[in-house]
Amino acid sequence: MARITLENVKKSFGKVKALDGISLDIKDKEFFVLFGPAGAGKTTILNNIAGIQVPDEGLVKFDGQIVNLVDAAHRDTAMVFENYALYPQMTVYDNMASALRSNLYKKDEDYINKRVHEIAKMMSMDYLLERLPSQLSNGQKQRVAMGRALVRMPKVYLMDEPLAHLDAKLRNAMRTELKGIQAQFGTTSVYVTHDFMEALSLADRIAVINEGKVVQIGTGDAIYDLPINEFVATLMGDPEINIIPGKLSKEGSVYKFAMKGSGREYELPVDQDLFAKLDTLGVKNVDLALRPQHLRYSFESKPGYLPCTVYSYESIGNKSVIVAEIGGQQLRMIAPNGLRVKIDQDVYVDLDLSHSLFFDSESKDFMARYNEAEIRRIAEPEEEG
Amino acid sequence: MSGLKIEHVYKRYDNEGKGKKKKVNDFAVKDLNLEAEVGEFIALLGPSGCGKTTTLRMTAGLEEITDGSIYINDVRVNDLEPKDRHIGLAFEDYAMYPPLTVYDNIGFNLKAKGVSKEEIDKRVREIAPLMQCDDLLDKMPVKLSGGQKQRVNIARAIVRRPDLLLMDEPLSHLDGKARQAMRTEIKRLINEIKCTTVYVTHDQLEAMSLADRIAIINFGVLQQYGTPAEVYDDPVNEFVAGFIGEPPMNILETTIIGENDHFFFTFANSNLKIQVPERYYNVVKHGFKCKMGVRPMDVLIGGPDSKGTPEHVATFENLGDERRIGIRVGDLLLMLITEDETRYKAGDTIKLEVRAEKTHLFDIETGDRIRSN
Repeated sequence: MARITLENVKKSFGKVKALDGISLDIKDKEFFVLFGPAGAGKTTILNNIAGIQVPDEGLVKFDGQIVNLVDAAHRDTAMVFENYALYPQMTVYDNMASALRSNLYKKDEDYINKRVHEIAKMMSMDYLLERLPSQLSNGQKQRVAMGRALVRMPKVYLMDEPLAHLDAKLRNAMRTELKGIQAQFGTTSVYVTHDFMEALSLADRIAVINEGKVVQIGTGDAIYDLPINEFVATLMGDPEINIIPGKLSKEGSVYKFAMKGSGREYELPVDQDLFAKLDTLGVKNVDLALRPQHLRYSFESKPGYLPCTVYSYESIGNKSVIVAEIGGQQLRMIAPNGLRVKIDQDVYVDLDLSHSLFFDSESKDFMARYNEAEIRRIAEPEEEG
Repeated sequence: MSGLKIEHVYKRYDNEGKGKKKKVNDFAVKDLNLEAEVGEFIALLGPSGCGKTTTLRMTAGLEEITDGSIYINDVRVNDLEPKDRHIGLAFEDYAMYPPLTVYDNIGFNLKAKGVSKEEIDKRVREIAPLMQCDDLLDKMPVKLSGGQKQRVNIARAIVRRPDLLLMDEPLSHLDGKARQAMRTEIKRLINEIKCTTVYVTHDQLEAMSLADRIAIINFGVLQQYGTPAEVYDDPVNEFVAGFIGEPPMNILETTIIGENDHFFFTFANSNLKIQVPERYYNVVKHGFKCKMGVRPMDVLIGGPDSKGTPEHVATFENLGDERRIGIRVGDLLLMLITEDETRYKAGDTIKLEVRAEKTHLFDIETGDRIRSN
């Protein structure tokens, strides 16, 4: 059990600033996800918590105690890596037991035996205990690596993309399993990933990291529905959210949005709170953002629909993605499978603007969105206690 | 003419060497037969170690063919050097020449072949915009992002106008967002250059979104070769059914029971009961054991008047675009996907409905699909 705090942590490797003032407050028992693109600094944060690396500046605290000068071995964390890091010459049993045989966390063999079997059973891998790592599939190896972390009951689990090497089927199964395990043990967990689905699915809270800085911290709902800027908005969701530059104007009490690519002017559906916020902000050049599920298409001309051409059509199994293009603006939308769609053919697109988000086209920062108060209520639960 | 023909191809790696016990390995590739039309884009899909990369490397000439024949544009290439096979290669890592600019990297192979400067210039400038690297031509490789490097890498493979383009997991080093963008670009590119392409991947999503036809391989054996729609809607066995689709198809062991002229799927330690589609009535009987497969999008939450089975939510995942719910059926989880905005939590009761007409049956031993007669 531990609360982990990072205060203005900085870390450089030569000229490269890997961490540029990271502050985080990870609560006891929380499942906390560090999410961001490759090279953002996620793993460096994890290594600084583990004690594998030491900050150049700033503090790392466990339960309020500064641990900057505490060895990795003495911080009582357990790490799970992307590449498993199993001892090849040891059986699964001995790999799992190794965590309890080290001088520091030594337990007697009876206890170890009981504990290893308990965890192995829970992770449905008791039948693997006699095998060597070379006799395991990748999914099984990852399960062993996790099992080894679990036998010890450390203060905190640190996991670095543990599911990245697994195929879709296993990744799904392990994700569900991992969530169950963490809920059962209630051990504070810090989890690094660049997969938005893992982040949304596992996290109590997510910290979006980019270029060594924290961009946004919040629940999955907050990151998905109330992204602080366009960068965060585009990280969540597949296919990616549509960013449509244009101009806002007001006539009487009605707001209009003139789309840059097509020149089409839309009258925005009425949302008094939104309009009031736009009044206050007074920004004219905006990027309207709309998730692909809020666009509709037709292959015949329809009133109000934008005439576009098909830029690409991709089947992705249970659904397809049509990318339409008009005046250099690409519009991504969801379609069913098995359509006969040719690249460069005509397609007509309708936007359901009542789900729009607005960003300042200069700063790319979040301005406002439809139904904001209601969404904030769901996405930003009151702090307990 | 076919763009690529793989005929009864086998591959066995020798395990002979000093100090090693003589041992006969299993075949890495076993009696593989595949044909791609000229201009067709095919994907070799399977888990790691299934033989897909070995097949690609044999096609490229980087690996001996143990038995069988490979033809490119109807020419048998078994005994041709890689350079004489008229192929373009793009691998997972980019292997660019660091001291050369992007322009020189793309033109390098042409230069090595003695193509004139004017012709190289023409071709590089023709290809660069297709891969959106026209702004990068003067840059050095170290200045490029992963996505940009892979664009250059692919441009370099196609600038030679190969008869056959071979790509091995070209997107696997990119993060989610860059990967998604590159997928669209590759799709556009292939439509433009219409070059026969073999694309190796373990990611079913890439195969489904890019390929005209997908060859699904497991343990060196071809399982199914068909269009994305065919392998998705009409899988030949449990392996294919489970490998294609995200989240994967639910596959549950079932005992079929007959009641009042109808058959139902029942499951150990579960109240769930699903009617067997009538087309299977001539292949099942009371007490018949098999596996039932149903995709998560064909499992539904019934409304208040639903006659579906009441079940408890075991797991709930909100993934932003959609939500996934797991229902415990015996020891397994039955997954469903919904766009419903309700935030369920573990323990909530929902009425579970299954689109019975969308269920598949698999043999409990072999995993082969059981079809209605």
